[in-house]
Amino acid sequence: MLHVKKADIVIIGGGAAGTMAAIHAHRANPALKVAILDKSRIETSGGAGRGMDAINTIPLPPYSDPEDFVEMQTKITEGVLDQEVSYAYAERCPELVQELEEITGRAKGDLFPVDERGNYQLRYVQAVNKPMMLYMDGGNLKRSLAKAVRGSGAEVYDRTPVLKIFTEDGRIQGVLGFNIRSGDYFFIQAKAVCLTAGPAGRMGLASSGYLSNTYEFPGNSGDGYALAYEAGAELVNMECYQALTMLKDFQGPACGYVAGTRGAKSTNRAGEGIWTHAYPSGDTRLATWRTFAEGKGPIYLHTHELPEEVIRIIEHIQFGTERTGRYLFHKGRKQDYRQPKCLELAFAEEIGACGGHSSSGVNSNRQGETNIPGLFVAGDVDAGLPFSFLGGALAMGGLIGEEAAQYAAGTGWAGGNPRSRAREGIRGFEAPLKRKLGLPAHLVEFKARTRLQYYLKPPKNPEYHRIAVWWMERIRREDLPEIKAEDYHDLLKAHEIRSILLVGEMMARASLFREESRWGYQHWRVDFPEKKREWDGTWVVVRKGEKGMELGKKKVPPSRWNFPSSMEYSYPNLSFDLGVPFQRAPHYQNPLGDPWTKGRMIKMRGAGKREGG
Amino acid sequence: MIKTSRKKWAEPPYSWLEVNRGKCNQCGLCVEMCPMDVLRMGPGKLPYMRYRDDCWYCDVCVSVCPRKAVTLKGLPYLIR
Repeated sequence: MLHVKKADIVIIGGGAAGTMAAIHAHRANPALKVAILDKSRIETSGGAGRGMDAINTIPLPPYSDPEDFVEMQTKITEGVLDQEVSYAYAERCPELVQELEEITGRAKGDLFPVDERGNYQLRYVQAVNKPMMLYMDGGNLKRSLAKAVRGSGAEVYDRTPVLKIFTEDGRIQGVLGFNIRSGDYFFIQAKAVCLTAGPAGRMGLASSGYLSNTYEFPGNSGDGYALAYEAGAELVNMECYQALTMLKDFQGPACGYVAGTRGAKSTNRAGEGIWTHAYPSGDTRLATWRTFAEGKGPIYLHTHELPEEVIRIIEHIQFGTERTGRYLFHKGRKQDYRQPKCLELAFAEEIGACGGHSSSGVNSNRQGETNIPGLFVAGDVDAGLPFSFLGGALAMGGLIGEEAAQYAAGTGWAGGNPRSRAREGIRGFEAPLKRKLGLPAHLVEFKARTRLQYYLKPPKNPEYHRIAVWWMERIRREDLPEIKAEDYHDLLKAHEIRSILLVGEMMARASLFREESRWGYQHWRVDFPEKKREWDGTWVVVRKGEKGMELGKKKVPPSRWNFPSSMEYSYPNLSFDLGVPFQRAPHYQNPLGDPWTKGRMIKMRGAGKREGG
Repeated sequence: MIKTSRKKWAEPPYSWLEVNRGKCNQCGLCVEMCPMDVLRMGPGKLPYMRYRDDCWYCDVCVSVCPRKAVTLKGLPYLIR
């Protein structure tokens, strides 16, 4: 059944960014009606759904300033950055910390640690000499944010993924959502839309083969990227892949922050150190790749030499705030953090796209605006503020809530008939449900994600990336029309594969377009193994054109600060001397052709005729 | 890659979730809160993993249960 509704502001995604957008939109203008849609439930959805133990990048005076954050970001993005967005985030950080204490009802020093002078206690992680990481006891953060959203009077649509964002005359008209429990459709007319639907985390499939074995929340299948693309928004940095070091098979964090900042060390099998800092920049990724390429893997995280008290703290966080499953994982393997080589790490087991752990997503400016009037973006789907983790999602989520409120108050409703637009969005969506027989969605997803992982994994081989595009197109053309869904839950799975294929294609095409290497491992082209000046300060833009996917170049806005825009590393020469191979003498070559097999082929054809006749 | 059978059954199909029949009062909070929409109330009025292979082993079901009736016994077989 179709329900037509109205809300001044619609928020897509109820994770950290989406809930903050709802809270701030209401606070900025309580007269506005706010609706928030989530494919899951806002109390537990998104990357922070179970809990969070730190804000990884948060400059706070007196130990670090907004300029320090901009310096760090300029460095790790290697100059492909709108510094104004970074500064806008950094300026909001002191306010963010206090706000989170208010929302969670926790006293200063309870949610976040403070030092003896009453300042928030920061840790060193990034490749700058200023601390910017703040521990947090955030096991119930999402429950608190959700409570504040429901308390604000916002209309919450749980279990309602958005299928399409509609525009009319180039501006926002509304969204179409589908409730996977009831099967109801909701067309919500809107003046402004805040897109906070998370990263493309369910992309390349890890070697376990288990579809939900993902680092990111598995509901984050790139729908935000697909929705923005289909609506006409510009995406950037799709070639700067998310390639993480993770706890092998569990696909959980490698503990660089949880354990690394508490004294743990990572080494290769020979006990040699691998990286100089724990931030996900090009140099650390390349050093990790080298460890495995040189046969020096696995990488181990060593906690056994730490004092018992510190090990217990790490266990408390990893087995509690992170995921209790981690305790069961180690228990099943009879692993103890007090034993050497307990934590085996793997690298780049699932290639994906993320604005928070990398820099891929929808392009936005310091107000969170996109190229579509009325469409704002924040969180992991946002590329405006790259490498910004939870802090970026929370602060910029709040910011776009305020910006959307201001925009919505000053604009009218777009034209167009909601019912006819809704029917346009619904058309074909339920086809997998109506088929009597067909391919199960999980099989098609398995095929798409194994192909993505195999062909996209850096070092980037352009031929492989072309084959990846071919696979995405083929699965879209041949397999999607064959999927049979059993119920609404399954129908969503079938729909999510569209996003996975689309984001995979964006990643492959953007990688082919950027004819240089940058960001270390994340965009390492074997045929262009160095940075090129002509690509300095330049985005690859992906957008939907009349004839399909279009790619172009765009310069980042001029920089206000002249910080160094490079990390210190160089790409290796992938040429291996294997000695002298066996040379067969000319008179020992096989003759061309094969008359014996040819003779048998004729006989078989004859036999076939006799049987058939 | 093998999906949970959705045919009628006498006992819940194999999974890594254990629900204590004595403690569970069928409030359905775990079903409501599971971020991956894995759980449903079964014919025996107890929650079960209807969409088992979508489980992210996050243990939200365990942590939200007010009566501590839900336990994660292990992890998905492929990642153990």
